[in-house]
Amino acid sequence: MDVRLPNLGEGTDSGSVVSLSVKEGDVIKKGQTILELENEKAVAPIPSPADGTVANIRVKPGDKLTVGQIILSLSEGNGAEKKVEQKESTPGESHHSPEAPAHAETGEDRSKAEAALKTPPAGIPLPASPSIRKMARELGIDLTKIRGSESGGRIVLKDVRSYIQRLQQLAFPSKAVEPAKPAAEQIDFSKWGPIHTQSMSTLRRTISRRMHESWTTIPHVTQFDEADITKLMEMRKQLSAAYEAKGARLTLTCFALKAVVQVLKKYPIFNSSLNELAQEVVYKDYFHIGLAVDTEAGLIVPVIRDVDKKDLLTVAMELNQLAERARDRKVTLEEMKGGTFTISNQGGIGGAHFTPIVNKPDVAILGLGRGVLKPVVRNKQIEQRSMLPLCLSYDHRVIDGGQAARFVQELVEAFENFSQDEVKV
Amino acid sequence: MEPIKTEIVVVGAGPGGYAAAFYAADKGKKVILIEQEKRLGGVCLNRGCIPSKALLHATKLITEAKDSHVRGISFDSPKIDLEKMRSWKESILNKLGQGISALGQKRGVQLLTGRGRFEDSKTLRVETAEGQKFINFDQAIIAVGSKSAIPKAFDLGNPRIMTSREALDLEEIPQELLVVGGGYIGMELGTVYASLGSKVVVVEAMDSILMGADADLVRPVMRYAEKAFKEVRLKTKVLKMSTSGKQIKVTFEVNGQEKVELYDRVLVSVGRVPNCEDFGLENTKVARDEKGFIKVDSKQQTADPSIYAIGDVAGGVLLAHKAAKEARIAVEVILGESSTFENIVVPAVVFTDPEVAWCGLTEAEAKAKGIVVKIAKFPWAASGRALSFDRTDGLTKLVIDPETERVLGVGIVGAGAGELISEGVLAIEMGATVKDLAETVHPHPTLSETLMECAEVFYGHATHVYSRKTMD
Repeated sequence: MDVRLPNLGEGTDSGSVVSLSVKEGDVIKKGQTILELENEKAVAPIPSPADGTVANIRVKPGDKLTVGQIILSLSEGNGAEKKVEQKESTPGESHHSPEAPAHAETGEDRSKAEAALKTPPAGIPLPASPSIRKMARELGIDLTKIRGSESGGRIVLKDVRSYIQRLQQLAFPSKAVEPAKPAAEQIDFSKWGPIHTQSMSTLRRTISRRMHESWTTIPHVTQFDEADITKLMEMRKQLSAAYEAKGARLTLTCFALKAVVQVLKKYPIFNSSLNELAQEVVYKDYFHIGLAVDTEAGLIVPVIRDVDKKDLLTVAMELNQLAERARDRKVTLEEMKGGTFTISNQGGIGGAHFTPIVNKPDVAILGLGRGVLKPVVRNKQIEQRSMLPLCLSYDHRVIDGGQAARFVQELVEAFENFSQDEVKV
Repeated sequence: MEPIKTEIVVVGAGPGGYAAAFYAADKGKKVILIEQEKRLGGVCLNRGCIPSKALLHATKLITEAKDSHVRGISFDSPKIDLEKMRSWKESILNKLGQGISALGQKRGVQLLTGRGRFEDSKTLRVETAEGQKFINFDQAIIAVGSKSAIPKAFDLGNPRIMTSREALDLEEIPQELLVVGGGYIGMELGTVYASLGSKVVVVEAMDSILMGADADLVRPVMRYAEKAFKEVRLKTKVLKMSTSGKQIKVTFEVNGQEKVELYDRVLVSVGRVPNCEDFGLENTKVARDEKGFIKVDSKQQTADPSIYAIGDVAGGVLLAHKAAKEARIAVEVILGESSTFENIVVPAVVFTDPEVAWCGLTEAEAKAKGIVVKIAKFPWAASGRALSFDRTDGLTKLVIDPETERVLGVGIVGAGAGELISEGVLAIEMGATVKDLAETVHPHPTLSETLMECAEVFYGHATHVYSRKTMD
């Protein structure tokens, strides 16, 4: 059978191959990762839809794939059609290997991948309607260079448009896309001592690009505060055994998720996105919270859905699973999409206040530091209290300081007055 | 004499020529259309597509009436009045011809009746009833068409040896008719005469009739012909013909042996040649290929920068709808648009009984060129609509790219195949996949469902066909 790129979910219909996890002749199981695909959100593993022996791999790292495109063929049985020769640049493991060919989104790489597009037999037009073909002729666009996004590789207006936009970007790089690089003067660091270099992984490049974009397009403001979590920690102590018994770890992040959603409901602007083209704010009536997870390869942000509709135990269990799978890089692309607000908890590592960068298209992100015992004045007395550093970064285009101050204030209260009933199992 | 100045002159008012003239006029050009015959429409209207379809329609009733006794409806033997049939056919042609003239007039296309001849790359001389006229043009579009080829050995000047032109005039119904050439013209006209009562023998030099169509699409036509005709002889050559009283003596070569037979009439349908003689092309830079067709590029431009050629005279497949498309391209190129006749799907329809129609890539072509394809077939025996009028001898097939599942070719044989093929053309032009066809609702009970079910056959779940094995 032919294995095709499955539907990646709403909004995404393509991505580029980061690495192949199988080679021809491999006997694989259903669900086993066959390749890693990067799209604008993240890198995700693509699982095999069936058991079988890998034959005839049609893609290589760097290739741009669209939904429905054939990745490889699977033959039934074990290694019946073994092919010994291994394609060049087919790293066998699933991790980014430094020797994997570096492929930035340069025009050269893309055009190379696109030049390999299959053309129909003579006399049969390219898969595009007559009107699109006529338009392409008039514009002097070579349709054989465009990969169609519709079934059967059909090229539609949207594909021609994005192709032209890409050409334009390559011809006239805009500052937002291509950072100004006058400072990129080559420095020979080895003059001062021994060095070694490592090529940036695709995930690293994605993070780099996205952070740069968020940082340069969103006017950031970060609001600091602290929440007294002494009571919360006591509650946690009492109940963690009960949670443990159900196979869940009651962490501070669980509380944070519930507390944040409670406040988001009151201040829906923090659960919105800015549509820059239409100049409108899109309010989302669902609460899908992204969690920044630190993995060996870099930062990824899986999403916990409908946090408002789940009790603390469910959230805790889901969180454990997700974090574990995130570290094993088994989170699917689908699970990293559709977030409405992000939490980045550094408490597990340490540190106090920091300034998180908003995860576009969100408009706000909450950073959590490590809760520490501090002397606090309460009722004119100095007391030891556990204080949790809160840092809320927000998009000042959409949210004003007053709203942010109120949001953080409510959040502090939500942590301090966390309802006992909500924690019970 | 002062020459008439015009932007565009179109020579020949067939389906290519008048389409070009009208389109150019619609686009604001000053156009003169030259036609040597009184009635516009060219071969297509006067002695091709239209009259042959009229006669096929008229004579079909004879066979239909015969066949209907099993349905409980019986008729006496029909009386055939050839005179009346001819004038009925003529009335259709007149109506159409007048319609075309009127459409030209409304658009302000100036019509000149006469024979044109190129003086040079910018001037055309026209012999009209009122004498010579000179036309000075910016661009000329040649659309003078083709005529039946008649090998010298057959050209005895005997009216009993006919081309399609004379055959369509229906002078008489010969007892014994020989059709030389099993192409679409021979098969269609053979059907007309067979229905009228002639004993028809078709001889074909190749090993199949209707060359170009896939073998499985030809088979039902062959089966019909074997029943309706006296004989279909393949791999047979006609060596010579001679007059023998009121008959024609024909010498054949079959398997290296000579055979002589007598026929009342002979229809020669062995191909067509371009109408390029005595046309003054030598006074221009227009170049022709070894068969005499005018050489054009994909923009319909000839070797002479101010002269374009479209339709039969430009070679390729000799079909009216190809000419009409080329007309549009030539005019658009003249208007500065970047149109080209590249990768355009031109359907073919043969109006035999049953009809055969195909478009895009054929199975045979894929095989010959080593293109990997998958084929899906839906036999009409599984179509309720086909059963309802006793025509289960049809077949619908799709030629599919296994990688993208795109429809690359469609072939249909069966009653009304000509009307069904357009969906296939649209599918290929739009880059449709088999899934697209399968997912599109087709009305029941119609023959168009066979296209949808054929697509479902590809996936192994057509409602009216049981396939044990589903596709991988």
